[in-house]
Formats: sequence, structure tokens, C-alpha cells
Amino acid sequence: MAIISASSVEKVFRQPKRQAGFGGAIRSLFSREFTEIRAVDGISFAIEPGEAVGYLGPNGAGKSTMIKMMTGILVPSSGTVEVLGREPHSHRITNAAEIGVVFGQRSQLWWDLPVRDSFELNRHIYDIPAPRFADNLARLTAMLDMAFYIDRPVRQLSLGQRMRAEIAMALLHDPKILFLDEPTIGLDVVAKDTVRKFLAEVNRERGTTIILTTHDLVDIEEICPRLIMVDDGKLLFDGELKHLRTALGSRRRLKLEFGTDPGPITLKTAALVTDEGAAKHFLLESEQTSILDVLTELGSGHDLKDVKLEEPDIEEVIRTFYRNKAQTGAAP
Amino acid sequence: MKLAAYPAFTATAFQSRLAYRNQVWSGVFGELVFMFARIAIWTSVFSTVASSSVDGVTLPQMITYALLAGPVLYWDYSRLLRDIGTAVKSGDIAVYLLKPLLYPAYMLASHIGNFLFDLLTVTVPVAIIIAFTVGLVPPASLFHGFAFLAFWFLSFAMLFLLTAILGLAAFWLMTADSLDWFFNSIMTLLAGGIVPLWFFPGWLAAIAGNLPFAWVSYYPAAIYIGQLDPAQVLTAFVVGLLWFAVLLGFLLWIWARARHRLIVQGG
Ligand SMILES: Nc1ncnc2c1ncn2[C@@H]1O[C@H](COP(=O)(O)OP(=O)(O)O)[C@@H](O)[C@H]1O
Ligand SMILES: [Mg+2]
Repeated sequence: MAIISASSVEKVFRQPKRQAGFGGAIRSLFSREFTEIRAVDGISFAIEPGEAVGYLGPNGAGKSTMIKMMTGILVPSSGTVEVLGREPHSHRITNAAEIGVVFGQRSQLWWDLPVRDSFELNRHIYDIPAPRFADNLARLTAMLDMAFYIDRPVRQLSLGQRMRAEIAMALLHDPKILFLDEPTIGLDVVAKDTVRKFLAEVNRERGTTIILTTHDLVDIEEICPRLIMVDDGKLLFDGELKHLRTALGSRRRLKLEFGTDPGPITLKTAALVTDEGAAKHFLLESEQTSILDVLTELGSGHDLKDVKLEEPDIEEVIRTFYRNKAQTGAAP
Repeated sequence: MKLAAYPAFTATAFQSRLAYRNQVWSGVFGELVFMFARIAIWTSVFSTVASSSVDGVTLPQMITYALLAGPVLYWDYSRLLRDIGTAVKSGDIAVYLLKPLLYPAYMLASHIGNFLFDLLTVTVPVAIIIAFTVGLVPPASLFHGFAFLAFWFLSFAMLFLLTAILGLAAFWLMTADSLDWFFNSIMTLLAGGIVPLWFFPGWLAAIAGNLPFAWVSYYPAAIYIGQLDPAQVLTAFVVGLLWFAVLLGFLLWIWARARHRLIVQGG
């Protein structure tokens, strides 16, 4: 049974057309003209309990919109979202009690109060039994290294400290699912690393289902075995990170080094891209092709000294993908 | 629904104010300046008439009215208005929807926290200072004293409802600041916070006396000094309760509209 499922979800925002100037502002008060923004465009997926899923896409791809629909603070224009077997927005309060949500750009902590007081307030809001609260608080404080600032007012914290506290706060009531919208945005390298390690551990050790949006691929590499990639509201890829390359059609690179230049070589399993004489670079034709296939085809009798297989850098793959799309105006 | 959460919000609002406790002095000072200005005005008004009372009200009664209708009843509601306005404009209001709680009840709970804080740190000290320097009168009778307490409760509720409704209007108007100014002017006039309704021209007093604003300042303060007889007190209480019900219904309705807008249009 999927813990979260989305089927053909669409979200269309209608914004009244605004005209410039004061007169325009008055006119737009009465105008019925709208611009439609298709923020989420026919997305379907299913997430099983215990999964950690990264929702990746550039700015404006519709990530936050999707998170808002899953957390019940936005209704889809069409299609359905189900979380824990319920429609989130029509069961807002029940749903809210069983999920944890962190918005990277919105604080849920009380600005003027020590972190501890915000936590204490959550104990009341979620009706967490005192012993369990104490346990969770102690564990989270240790794991996220919060002991030295837990009694300081939130307004005095650094962004990294605040984000750790936000995440801890979302986990105090042992939610079944943790949603995070850009949890690492604006953090420095060390803080990012702490957050990533922690989330991976929560997912692994406690089995909490995690959905996080990001435009940073490293978040996904370190936390999420599964990746959902979106752009322009549409689903581009859903699967394991290591399969993304193939899906996006980027091929592995093979470098063969010879003791002496063997002259031109043509192969069926790999295409020659650069020929430096003794060193030749090939692109493997398919994901199924192994080095052995290439070597078998090459046969013996060459003075082969070294073989090097290069996985394409995922970041590079995605960048190329977006660049191509921007140039051609359509997905490949 | 976790009821225990709401008293916790009250306590939290109170504690948050403690973080800015040095602002208390300016609050007390501001209210004192305001009170002494009014006392000066009423003293000069009373000195121009031959008798010791104007419309049956003596100067000490008038000063007591001014204290009640001003700092005590018409206390600083603008914090609530600002909080709602900011939450709406920044979109932070969505965060409250992520929690298993009712936003209007949360607003009320923190409003109570702010009220208690202001009561202890500003209202009571100012009342004590005025009582010892200028003098205040006791309630007109035991009945009027208890009636005042009941009306104080109603006054608190009315001010909360009016402010919360106005704050949520920011969803459609997006200009809570100018609203604040507008509301403040209307309130100051119609609530009888500065000039009691019995000094109004008859037609205006009749209108203002039936609008909900009058329950914020005028009725409780006028009852305390005995301007209404028991029958009038009772009528005013019943009409006040009706207004309370109407405004409560309106607040819940406008919140439902706001929430709908929030989850459909995203803000
Ligand atoms: N409340 C809203 N009203 C109108 N347009 C919106 C609203 N929220 C988001 N959008 C638009 O929808 C698109 C997707 O936004 P969002 O989900 O925030 O993207 P992401 O989180 O991936 O950066 C953007 O074009 C954005 O401008
Ligand atoms: Mg976003």
C-alpha cells in the first residue's frame, strides 16, 4: 500500500491580469481577465512507506506547489492526491497530526522565544505524551547537536542552527512522513552535511518516509535512493538516481590507452569520439554494454595498456539536459 | 482537537512579550501622558460650567470614565491586527494550516496572552497611578460593579472579533496598514473612547449606541459610573450578546472564505 499517491495531479493558478499604474490597478480590480499558470501538470507517482524520495527541479518547476498539495494546504485543480489513505486537504487536521513539514523559507519556530519553548509548544499542539517527548527531545538534541543553543531565542540563531531546530521540531511528534521543502537552501557546506546525514539516518533507523524538494543534486545523492525530477510542472524522471543517466540519454565514456598507436579502430559497441593516437575516447552505445563487450569486440593483438570507464557526472547530465531544452524548446 | 494547546499559546504570547519588557516603560508613559491630557481637557470643560456636573456626570466620574473607556477597555489591539496582516501578506498563515489546530482559536489564545500582559504591565499600573494622583470613583453600585465585569468580558470579545475580522480582510485588500488607521478613527469616535455618547447629537448617539463599537468602550464605562439604570443595562447586555453572535458568525465565515482562498489560490 502506497503511503502517498498522486494521480494525474494538476494545479493551475489563476492570477488576475495586472495593468501598470494607478488607473491600471483600479481597472484590474474589476477586470475578469486572468493569466493561468500551470504549476503542476499531470503528475503521477506512488511512494511506499519508508522510502526517501528527492523531488528535484529548477526554480518554478512546481516543487513547492506539489508539497503544499501533499500537506493539505493546497487543493489540486484536477487529479487526486492521497496521503496515508486520505485526501489531505479535506482531512487537514487528522493529516496534520501524522505528518511533519519543514519549509526552508518559512520558520515555524517562535522568533522571540528559546528554541526549547517552541518545542514545548509542539508538545501541546500534537499532544505528545511527556515521556515520549522527553525521549525524542533528548535524541534529536544529541543527533543535531543542539544542546548549546536550545535555550537561546530563535532570533539569535544562525540559519544552520535554525534549520536544525526546524527539522527537530517537525519530528518531535514522530510523524509517519516528513516533508521538507528546500531544507538545505542557503546553508553552508558543514550545515548542509549535518542536515543530510541526519535525514538519511532518520529514514534508515526510524523508517520515517521522507519527501524532500531541492535543486541541489547532492541532497538526493546523500539522502534519497529515489529521485523524481520535474520541470515546468511535468514529470521528467522517476526512478533510481543511477538510472537517470540512461533515461536522459547520456552515455558512459570509455578511454583506451595503447602502448603504440594501433591506427583507426571502429567498433559496434562503442563510438569513437576523440582519437589521440595511443589514447582513444569512446562513448558506450548502451547502458547494457559492459567493458568486457567492448574488449571482446576489440579482440587481442593490440598493445592495450589501460582501460578507464567514466560515469558521466549527474550534475553535468542535468545541466546539459536543461540547456538542450532551453535551446530546442522541448524535452529530448 | 488538542484543547491544552490553547492555554499554551496564551502563555507563549505572554512570554514573548517578556522578551521586550523594556518597552513596558514607554507603554506606561504613553498611556499616562494620554490620561493626563484628557484629565486636563475634562477639568477645563468642567471649569467653564457653573454646576459641578455636566449631563449629571461629575468631574471625578468623567475622569474614571476616561480611564476605563481608554486604557482599560480600548487597549492596544493593533498587535493582533498587525500579526494577522503580516501572516497573510507573507504567506506564513499557511504554516498555521500545517498544524492540527484552528487558527481563529489560536488567535484568540494569543490575544488573551497579550491582554494579560498589557493588563499587568500597563493598565493596572496606570490605573493605580491615576487613582493615587487624581482619584477615581468606585462603581455606582454593587450591581453596576458586577455589570461592569460582565461588560468588560463582552468588550474584550467584541474588540477581538472586530480586529480579527479586519485582519483577515487583508486577504482581499492587502493593505492592513491603511485599514488600521481607518479602523482606529472609526473606533475612537463610535466606541465612545474619547467622548462619551451622551455628548453626541441625538441622532449620532442613537446610531453609535446600536453599533458593536459602543460595547468596546462606551457601555462598560458608562455602566461603571452609573449612567444606565438596571433595565437599560440588561437591554444593552442582550443587544451586546446579539452583536457578539453576529460578529462571531462573521469571523468564522470570513475565516472559511480566507481558508478556501488559501487552499485554492495559494494566498
Ligand atoms: N499562489 C500562487 N499564485 C500564482 N502562481 C503561483 C502561486 N504559487 C506558485 N505559483 C507559480 O507556480 C509555479 C511553480 O511554483 P513553485 O511550486 O513555487 O515552484 P518551485 O518550488 O519548484 O520553485 C511558478 O511559476 C510560480 O510562480
Ligand atoms: Mg519552492
